[in-house]
Amino acid sequence: MEVRVSFAPLTELMSTLTTDQAPEMSMEANSEMLGTAHANGRNSETRKTISSEPRPSDLLSREDCLEMFRQLYLARYFDVRLIKEKKRGRLRGTLYSSHNQEAVLVGSLFGLKSSDWISPIHRDMPAFFLKDLRGKWGEAERSGMSIQEVCAQVWGKVGSPGRARDNWSHIGSKAKHIIHSTSMLAGTIPVAAGVVYADRSRGGDAVCLTFNGEGSTAQGIFHEAINFAAVHKLPVVTIVENNQWAYGTPVSQGSPVTDIADRARGFGIPGYIADGQDVFDVYDKVANAVAHARAGNGPSIVECKTFRAYGHGDHDDDRANRYRDQEEILMGRLRDPIAVCRKLLVDRGFLTGDAATAYVAEGKSATDATNDDFPPEVVDFLNQGIEFAIASPLPDAAEAGQWVFKEAE
Amino acid sequence: MAIAEPLVSAATATGPVAKNYLTALKEAISEEMGANPEMISMGEDIGLLGGAFGVTDGLLDKYGRERVIDMPISEGAIVGAAVGMALNGKTVMAEMQFIDFISCGFDQIVNMMATYHYRTAGEVNIPVVVRGPAGAYGGGALYHSQMNEAWFCNSPGLRVVCPSTPYDAKGLLKQCLRDGNPTIFFELKELYRKNEIAEILPEEDYTVPLGKAAIRQSGTDITLVSYGQNVYHCLAAAEELTKLGLSAEVIDIRSLVPLDEETIFKSLAKTNRIIVVNEAPMTCGFAGEIISRVTTKAFDLLDAPPVRITRLDTPVPWVKPLELFVLPSVEKIVKAALATVKY
Repeated sequence: MEVRVSFAPLTELMSTLTTDQAPEMSMEANSEMLGTAHANGRNSETRKTISSEPRPSDLLSREDCLEMFRQLYLARYFDVRLIKEKKRGRLRGTLYSSHNQEAVLVGSLFGLKSSDWISPIHRDMPAFFLKDLRGKWGEAERSGMSIQEVCAQVWGKVGSPGRARDNWSHIGSKAKHIIHSTSMLAGTIPVAAGVVYADRSRGGDAVCLTFNGEGSTAQGIFHEAINFAAVHKLPVVTIVENNQWAYGTPVSQGSPVTDIADRARGFGIPGYIADGQDVFDVYDKVANAVAHARAGNGPSIVECKTFRAYGHGDHDDDRANRYRDQEEILMGRLRDPIAVCRKLLVDRGFLTGDAATAYVAEGKSATDATNDDFPPEVVDFLNQGIEFAIASPLPDAAEAGQWVFKEAE
Repeated sequence: MAIAEPLVSAATATGPVAKNYLTALKEAISEEMGANPEMISMGEDIGLLGGAFGVTDGLLDKYGRERVIDMPISEGAIVGAAVGMALNGKTVMAEMQFIDFISCGFDQIVNMMATYHYRTAGEVNIPVVVRGPAGAYGGGALYHSQMNEAWFCNSPGLRVVCPSTPYDAKGLLKQCLRDGNPTIFFELKELYRKNEIAEILPEEDYTVPLGKAAIRQSGTDITLVSYGQNVYHCLAAAEELTKLGLSAEVIDIRSLVPLDEETIFKSLAKTNRIIVVNEAPMTCGFAGEIISRVTTKAFDLLDAPPVRITRLDTPVPWVKPLELFVLPSVEKIVKAALATVKY
């Protein structure tokens, strides 16, 4: 069994971060956090103590780091803008906000190769266009969806990759190596295992990242699939976005282990814990997991400790403010991933002067944030998608009866 | 019991020997694996053991561990991984050790596999055949006797197939493995080694098309529609009815989805009376579906109320008198046929 690379639970990270990294956080806030959402009794290595070797993120160029920062803005702006559009009555269906969890998406996707596969879930809409976006914002042909495709899906238009047959995040692309999501969370892990099994049989080295909530780790299929992947040492990296809440149920009622990563032990595979608010820590842990997988050593679990900023979906925002303590919500939103990233970039000298504070999107709800809080290239990027979506027609009604079966050729 | 009309002309005396249903299935899988290097077989105990019933006997030696996978006892993972392999270019045969266990993989079948082509607007095809031994009459009791085909007929996107003869077992399985659609393939384990139905199979490659029923016996007074091993109950009943001066036509639908309605309606135009026989429970079963189509699309052809003879709405009990009590039988069919003709 592999030695776990890092076990830094968020609480301990917090105590580390308050000294040199955590933005504007008082010791009081930190100690309160210890007692609330991220309470965790483990004594183990922190981020600082594993630094005898350079972390993968230490090797990232300034350009890459700034790209990740920009991608955080992009993911946030996508969320902010869609909430605004939804509130204007322009969108159907339920919006599952990824607000405050963007670092999990950006950090885990940033190091992938174009040939790798991913399997996002409902809260990961930005993942569809963030995949293979690194340095390719203007490229139409890349192994990730275009913003036009993603927006056409959100608007329920024919330009959607699935021609808007299933809603919101339930899209994918065989060509772009994105497994199509369903509502049955953890249900794509066995599919991921099958995909990479097939790839490996042809000599490929593709890894598949599957995204999951902590709630879905109670599903039987979660265990069946990782067990199978572990037996065959398949390159499946299971990202668990532990945002503390599975709809209306706290993690304490859904999991007997405080750290979901501990579930890895039963499969004899590594379980990594990442600070889900820190895009570089997510990048590091996922990079380790991906390297492990690509080297033929098999699957692993990367638990990203984070916090769901709003309700399960936008239909749940009001109730989520009642079934969750205000203090917990406040604490959970305190370390905005944009702010955490900004601080690290300033510390590394990658961001200086006015550029460091040009766009302050952190700590703002969708109602409060405006386009001026985001870099113009981010706003432009999404505008292109929205314009395409609005112009795209609705699918023809008769399509509803098509494609139940593949017709004979 | 034997098929009244052999589907294959008898070979010469020195020709090949008759093959049973299990051998036919075994040949279908092995030949398709040989013809299609992108095909994988997976399931519980299918490799080293050669399958609980031996359907995959010899497959591991022939095609190796990469292509013949002994899976953990995880039906959900079996189906899910099969779907993933299919998404990435493979054709997959996934065995359920008993079709009763398919319920453990239900979500992956009905929500993941069945819907994939639809929700991707045709981008993704899922050439996966989930097959396994099904059916009662063998004392298998509650969890080794089921015919749960109705669950899957009620899940759009799945082919549902059930052969009754060695010829069909091989030809239909091959067709399903080439069809490009996810399929649930019901095999009757009581037929696996039934020597009476062994038959000479063509030397050359062949398939049996989906959605084409077979008329196993022609008749003019009443139509008996069935599939699987109940076809043989119908044939035996037809023999009894002949002695009583009644001519029964026996139709084996072979595939439930797609269903060959035409053959049924054509027969009904001759006989004007229909009995549907299957060993699944009655309520919401496929017998009810066939009768519903008859009454909505061919009502004018009926001279008597259609009848369904099914398992009672009970699980399949273990000991013989109990098991037979709940299942369709030759006697039940003959009795119902007489009543229908007299109506």
